[in-house]
Amino acid sequence: MPWPTPRPDDPATVLRTEPRPHTVAPTVLKVVIAGGFGAGKTTAVGAVSEITPLSTEEYLTEASTGVDSLAGVEAKRTTTVAFDFGRLTLPDAPVPLELFLFGTPGQDRFVDLWYDLSRSAVGAVVLLDTRRLESSFTPVSFFEDIGLPFVVAINEFDGAHRYHPEQVRTALKLPARIPVVACDARNPNHVAGVLLTLVDHAVKTTPTINLQDA
Amino acid sequence: MRTYTLTRGRTTPRHLLGLETVLEHGPGRPGPGQAEECERILALCRERRRSVTELAGRLCRPVTAVKILVSDLLDADALVVPVTAPYAATDTDADARPSPQLLAALSAGLKRKWPDAMAHPQAG
Ligand SMILES: Nc1nc2c(ncn2[C@@H]2O[C@H](COP(=O)(O)OP(=O)(O)OP(=O)(O)O)[C@@H](O)[C@H]2O)c(=O)[nH]1
Ligand SMILES: [Mg+2]
Repeated sequence: MPWPTPRPDDPATVLRTEPRPHTVAPTVLKVVIAGGFGAGKTTAVGAVSEITPLSTEEYLTEASTGVDSLAGVEAKRTTTVAFDFGRLTLPDAPVPLELFLFGTPGQDRFVDLWYDLSRSAVGAVVLLDTRRLESSFTPVSFFEDIGLPFVVAINEFDGAHRYHPEQVRTALKLPARIPVVACDARNPNHVAGVLLTLVDHAVKTTPTINLQDA
Repeated sequence: MRTYTLTRGRTTPRHLLGLETVLEHGPGRPGPGQAEECERILALCRERRRSVTELAGRLCRPVTAVKILVSDLLDADALVVPVTAPYAATDTDADARPSPQLLAALSAGLKRKWPDAMAHPQAG
């Protein structure tokens, strides 16, 4: 089925002011890569990103006022959170796509950021260092709670005791439908494979919607 | 605080911008007295489209501060939000997940880029 072209009469796609040439930007898709301290998030983003991962800062207020306001700057409990950004273009996809990757720390004080990152995302990869299994409990239950498709990827560090994915599944109490895979976060083919696993999983969990316009 | 000066005391962006909102260079000129960061934002967007997050990362400024500056540049038409292909099967819901068609396109695109990458087969 051909991809529908943007409808110029759709208010969401109308340019705000004078007409400009209709340059149609690639569609942006997002994937969140969450994991504990040192789990390999930046490495995984960098393995497939076309730019060196950027470290971006945002304010974080302990009271959940949301990240869209600087009002809490003077408040005592304002800190900043750094997260990774990487991107890759997929010009050979059936429709031009750009994939944004967001690498984010795994502590529960970052949930405001996770909500922002998860909005309209394809899904999430929970990157897991088997030496610190417990650091993935929070992201796993967050993505479960909000219903965002996610996969668990075991980053196999040298010298770390190798767990079988099924052992990890048991330890994290993950249902059978959640993919648990092993990878080397430094290897682009592995990280791309994890992304493919996530996309396959997301397809299975996306409700089929009738296209009215089709 | 430096950020407070940068945004001239403003704490909330005027436009609703997401972390992934993409900006493109527009025909307008920013008004006088803009922060020097605005020129950097425009220079970056002249090279290619950039997301809010990428701009914040490259400027080493917090996302909210960059959203405030980007809002000024949008008002001056120095930046515009480009038209994108429809995102989800229904575009009425801002929180909509990508459509199955888009997910299929993503899968195909990834496979073309990394022919040796393998999705792990999954039971169920
Ligand atoms: N052997 C091995 N080393 C890895 C692997 N992935 C990451 N590393 C190394 O582990 C260290 C931590 O990786 P990072 O990518 O910085 O981890 P991170 O999750 O971004 O860390 P923080 O942002 O500090 O929480 C780096 O020195 C990486 O080179 C892996 O798959 N195998
Ligand atoms: Mg990191």
